[in-house]
Amino acid sequence: MATVPEVVVTVLSPYVGAMAADTCVRATAISIGKSMDSLCCDDMPALEQSIRRLLSPVAPSTTIDRVLSDIQGGVLA
Amino acid sequence: MSDPTVTTTAHAPVARQRIISGFTLGTGLVLAALLVVFYLTNTMAYNETLSETATNTIYVFGILLGVVAAIITIWVALSLGYHESVGRQWLLIGLGVAAFAIGDLIWMTLELVLAQDPYPSIADLFYPLQYVFFTAGIAVAVRSYRGFVNINRPLLFGAIVAVSGVGLVYVGVLAPYILSAGADELTNVGKFVSTLYPVGDVVFMLAPAITLALVVNQLGAGRLSWPWWFVIAGALIFAATDTFYSYADWAGIGTTAILDLGWVGAQLLFAVGALVARDVYRS
Repeated sequence: MATVPEVVVTVLSPYVGAMAADTCVRATAISIGKSMDSLCCDDMPALEQSIRRLLSPVAPSTTIDRVLSDIQGGVLA
Repeated sequence: MSDPTVTTTAHAPVARQRIISGFTLGTGLVLAALLVVFYLTNTMAYNETLSETATNTIYVFGILLGVVAAIITIWVALSLGYHESVGRQWLLIGLGVAAFAIGDLIWMTLELVLAQDPYPSIADLFYPLQYVFFTAGIAVAVRSYRGFVNINRPLLFGAIVAVSGVGLVYVGVLAPYILSAGADELTNVGKFVSTLYPVGDVVFMLAPAITLALVVNQLGAGRLSWPWWFVIAGALIFAATDTFYSYADWAGIGTTAILDLGWVGAQLLFAVGALVARDVYRS
């Protein structure tokens, strides 16, 4: 089963590329005092908030909603 | 970027999703075809193988292509919504294209309808507005990616390009032709306008385009970068065309069909970029 960081990077990569997606997850992990590998389902609200904040200048809110929905779907799968 | 078909999330069942719509592909092909027609007929016009009416028609046709580019770009921006950051970015690009199109319409009216020398004229109030709107749009776009990628190095490199480019323009165009022109050759207003364009091309088109290229290049194949590559290509073509025109005009070479192709093609690339953005944001 894929980990939370793997799901987020997989969903974000088609939009911002693998490197930027990785940076996004890593930065979020640091901002909540964790390492990237230790992110879990409990961190989803913080991750979603961070992703929304980072994506809002570069994509419309409908796109961001779709990305977050895909992430939630991937995490729950 | 050339492959519009990508695979979506690895955790969902693998699905093939077409990103670039048929509307964008179709419109892009039509615009490309119109551009080719414009170039071929304009070449005939430059070779003086056409009647005056036909030549004027081709002239108007080229300007109308710029108007179409402005309408498409602003339409996409407004459909994205002004409340969205990306909507504002594309609206600034679109207003730049519109400013250039208005400048062209005024130039055409002065030249064809009123039979006046259009340079310098009120059209020169609108052409530089493209620099203002374009630079503002690119600045907002570059800044918007600061959470994902490093933007400091691209900004520094862009500044270096701007400074060194102005140096080259000074050596190649300003010093030998414009600044040394006598009062009988060029008025002070003419001197200011003639300096503004080649310098503006480097500072407000070339440098921002290179900065943006270095930023979106860090997104790799990420689809949010796709529309910006069209804007970058358009800006590079525009800067090259406009700067060479300044040189060609003063060196006595004169304008050519290739230069007209560059100006019109650049505006159409901005419009296609906007259409690609619309598809990417919907995907």
